[in-house]
Amino acid sequence: MTHFAEIVRKGRGWLTLMAICSLASAGVTLALPAVLGSAIDAIVSGGEVERALIIATALIALAVATDLAEAAAGVACVAGTTAWLRLRTVRHLLSLSAPTVARFETGDLVSRVSGNAVDAAQAGTSLAVTAVGVLAPLGSLILLALIDVWIALAFLAGVWLVAMVLRAFTRRTTAVALGYQKAQGAIATGLTEALAGIRTIAAAATAEQEERRILRSVPELSAHGRRLWTVLARTSAQATVVGPVVLVAVLAVGGFALTQGRITPGELFAASRYAVLGAGLGGLTGVLGALARARAGTNRLAEVFTRPSTAYGAATLPTSASGTLRFRQVSVKSLLHNVDLTLPGGASVAVVGRSGSGKSVLAELAARLRDPDSGAVLLDGIPLPELTHHELRRAIGCAFERPHLIGGTVGEAIALGRDPASAIQAARSVQAHSFVIRLPSGYQTPLAQTPMSGGERQRLGLARAWHAERLLVLDDATSSLDMVTEMKIAQALLEDDGRTRLIVTHRVPTAARADLVVWLEEGRVQAIAPHHLLWPDPRYRAVLQPETP
Amino acid sequence: MTPTPRRPASRGEQSPVAYGLSRLRRRSLVRLLIWSVPEMLPAALIGIAVAHAVDDGFLLGRTGVGLAWLAAVMAASLVGALGSRQVLRCLSDFAEPLRDDLVRRVVTAALRHGVAGRPDDGAVARLTRQVEVVRDTYAGLILAARAFLTSLIGTAAGLVSLAPILLALIVPLVAVGFLAFLATLPLAAQRLRESVYADEELATATGTVLTGARDVIACGAQDPVLTMIAEPVERQAAAERALAAPAMLRTACFAIAGWAPLIVVLAAGPWLVARGLTAGEIMGGLTYVLFGLQPAVSKLMSGLGGSGLRFLVTLKRILDVTNADPPAPPPAGSGDGLELRRVTFAYGPHSEPVLHDLDLVVAPGEHLAVIGPSGIGKSTLAAILCGLLTPGSGSVRHGGGCMLIPQEAYVFGGTLRENLSYLRPAATDGEIRAAAEAVGARDLLSRLGGLDALVVPGRLSAGERQLIALARSYLSSAPIAILDEATCHLDPEAECLAEQAFAAQGRTLIVIAHRVSSALRAPRVLVLDGTHALAADHATLAASSALYRELLGHWTAPGKAGSDPARLLGEPDGFDPRAGTRLRQHPGQMIANGAVAEKQLGPDIASR
Repeated sequence: MTHFAEIVRKGRGWLTLMAICSLASAGVTLALPAVLGSAIDAIVSGGEVERALIIATALIALAVATDLAEAAAGVACVAGTTAWLRLRTVRHLLSLSAPTVARFETGDLVSRVSGNAVDAAQAGTSLAVTAVGVLAPLGSLILLALIDVWIALAFLAGVWLVAMVLRAFTRRTTAVALGYQKAQGAIATGLTEALAGIRTIAAAATAEQEERRILRSVPELSAHGRRLWTVLARTSAQATVVGPVVLVAVLAVGGFALTQGRITPGELFAASRYAVLGAGLGGLTGVLGALARARAGTNRLAEVFTRPSTAYGAATLPTSASGTLRFRQVSVKSLLHNVDLTLPGGASVAVVGRSGSGKSVLAELAARLRDPDSGAVLLDGIPLPELTHHELRRAIGCAFERPHLIGGTVGEAIALGRDPASAIQAARSVQAHSFVIRLPSGYQTPLAQTPMSGGERQRLGLARAWHAERLLVLDDATSSLDMVTEMKIAQALLEDDGRTRLIVTHRVPTAARADLVVWLEEGRVQAIAPHHLLWPDPRYRAVLQPETP
Repeated sequence: MTPTPRRPASRGEQSPVAYGLSRLRRRSLVRLLIWSVPEMLPAALIGIAVAHAVDDGFLLGRTGVGLAWLAAVMAASLVGALGSRQVLRCLSDFAEPLRDDLVRRVVTAALRHGVAGRPDDGAVARLTRQVEVVRDTYAGLILAARAFLTSLIGTAAGLVSLAPILLALIVPLVAVGFLAFLATLPLAAQRLRESVYADEELATATGTVLTGARDVIACGAQDPVLTMIAEPVERQAAAERALAAPAMLRTACFAIAGWAPLIVVLAAGPWLVARGLTAGEIMGGLTYVLFGLQPAVSKLMSGLGGSGLRFLVTLKRILDVTNADPPAPPPAGSGDGLELRRVTFAYGPHSEPVLHDLDLVVAPGEHLAVIGPSGIGKSTLAAILCGLLTPGSGSVRHGGGCMLIPQEAYVFGGTLRENLSYLRPAATDGEIRAAAEAVGARDLLSRLGGLDALVVPGRLSAGERQLIALARSYLSSAPIAILDEATCHLDPEAECLAEQAFAAQGRTLIVIAHRVSSALRAPRVLVLDGTHALAADHATLAASSALYRELLGHWTAPGKAGSDPARLLGEPDGFDPRAGTRLRQHPGQMIANGAVAEKQLGPDIASR
């Protein structure tokens, strides 16, 4: 769990320094007007100016020094804590089960790691900033009241006016901003669509036509933009009046006090200064906003950290066995019901069924991308959760319908942490070598600069899983391949290479060539048999029929 | 259809500063400055008013005079407020045209790069985020610079009329502090740029890893992936820490320009009093420093150091992308035949060529199918035929009227009519309907609600989008059509209907086949297997192409390698054994039996 307090503790070294600086800075801010006032009085009355001058200079020097130290400490604290939080969050995410991660949207997760982590890392600094933000204006108000209660009251009346204006502003801008965002969205949508169809546009040479179509919302955007400025102009004009109103109110009431001899000219000057500082109360919402953001950021990260990590055991697989996979009374709530299956070691087993019949869940269980709610999955007699992480991933490889490739280069994406030399061998086996060597720099081609079709991506995903020693799980992993490649991979996949293969498929030839077919219906095993025995059943044939688009 | 002449995209290398300055229109600038004058009034008056209110009013017990001076401040503020209202209105004359221009540049550049085959992933983010940042910071920058000037002039005017000696004390300090601050800007800009890049790099890396979290877990690659992430995380933290130095320098400069004048005025106090300055005048002077000068300097420094730098860094990113060289327009051609002579194409200087010494002649009106594994160069060939790519060597002679219908169908938000008449804007409703009918999109048309229906691309299935693209292309008058797996999301019957509609038009048709059935429909097939390219009729291919034979065997008679095909064919695989056998022996004859073969092949070939 990552709590607010824990984040604050993480940066405590820097925070201590920051807190000291902040307190000193608040003290200086509050003391300075009084010192300046007494200096003015001393100058006017021809008294001892030097003392006040030295104190004022020292205070200003201290203010500058604390500002410098605070800036350095704050940045160091936030930067270090952010990096720590980011790594912790990613590490935890990768320790979850695959379906748990999938429950989050990727964009949402990225924004947690890149945005919310920064907000959360400001937990400590925002506390310090808030403390100063509250201390300075409140202290100013108290000191103002100490100089003269009536001045303080005049000030409060002025501040109330400021608050009213700011409220009106937020209300008006939101309405206008909405129209602006809509017009902007229309242009962005047009561009997104055009970029998705860019080959058509390129071939038809209609780029100019597209440009005009996408940009036709620009005048509307402009109109909304101008309206925004008008609203801003109105409110900010009001704000420029309100500032002097506060100051004049304080000076007028203070002037009376000066006339009556209740305060000195220096005190009047100090009062006007405190009024300006006290007006900082209006900015307090901003300071509190930072604190609220830090809290919200922490909560967003905590949502990740409350999910439990996958636990691994200490067992290894028996060396003599050959990849027998056993599902023992396996159930996953509302997806799989009491599945009891044994996949003989070295066999190729096709899993067929309609969409939603539980094929993918079965594949996820076999690769321990998730654990069953009840029952157990055993590889060569050992329950998967008892295996060490290393042993589990060495024995089992898993390829997907839509693989996501990770790594700097194509070669790295295939090896993914393993020996890069093995990547080429794996690529050869799954018919990926021939297209990789046609890329601008072959295996060294940066992944980001490699536009790939779904079929090419699938082949790299297959190559990445090819290292598996005992069990290969293919979840519709060849569905986007063209007819030639599918055929070639099917040959490599279905020849007896000693590994057990669990192949989720929709295709008749794959099912026909597998040793066994597991036919799933609504989360239950309907039949386990070779394809040719199942084929006469019209319901089986219906499962393998294409879904019309 | 001839490619329309393109406007030059390059507007020359332009620095962000030059661009920003070039967008300052003189008339708007003059208006802005005129409306800034009223704003100087309160700035100039505040110190004088305080001095007189104290000296002539409150200190002498003449409350009325004191209040009158304060009332003058209020009045000046009202006038100033009117001015600032107009100033903000003027800002829209700067910010809005700038934004419009940037939006145009980004959209144009994104399309142009896309057309040139160099897609820009960041274009949409550039449009919605970076352009907005530039617009806001540009306005903020103008505002800050202007506010600094008005405060400075107002304060200076006030000080001159109050006590010119004070001005002489203050100006050098402000100048030194400000110049020192300007000197820190290049460093600050550099650091900010690095931090922005580090941020982007981190977001990209995190995005890649988290998108592929399932794959990382499945491969047990947590540790290497965390190492991959740790690098950008650390780089970003380092870049963030490096931002502290410019911030601290800025604080130091502010100390010189903002705080030092205060100390100097105070220190000179006794001497000034001795020279006859009153209490009110010294208070007025301090008021100018604390209320006029300090906020103005602070605003300008944070404006330049914050918005200003963000403006420069962000605008540079936009200009870098949009100033890039325009891609060469595709060469125009004429006629409706195609001819490739010894064409070689490779994606990089060190990579295997995708096409090697390819000779291909397609006669006008011919129907050719292309088959081969994906990634072997079929789409590259299509792009070369259409002139979208230029081969490394060899010659291409093609008709200018070459139309490519790619796998990813382009449908945009607009009416169905706009979408369908895209390639022939003058088409009548009758012609549009006839085209839709011909390719099998009639049901889709009525389901969507006719030609006036608004299309939302995201709500259509991939197959429906392909139907729209097919109907649109059918309507076009281009003499050559290249279907690059353009029917892959349709079922085999629909695919057959669409292909036959195109073939029946009599135009040259090249089909990059997704299914065996669509290869069998063409009289001539080009087989690309990575080492050889062979274009011939079915009988020749069956005799000379191993890949072709293998392919037919695999897709028409599934069975275990090495087992007796006849046995398997007779068994319940769902295939008519006679059809299968016939295919194996006389693939060439299948052209005539296209429809029959297709029905037989349907189940497996169509399944995806």
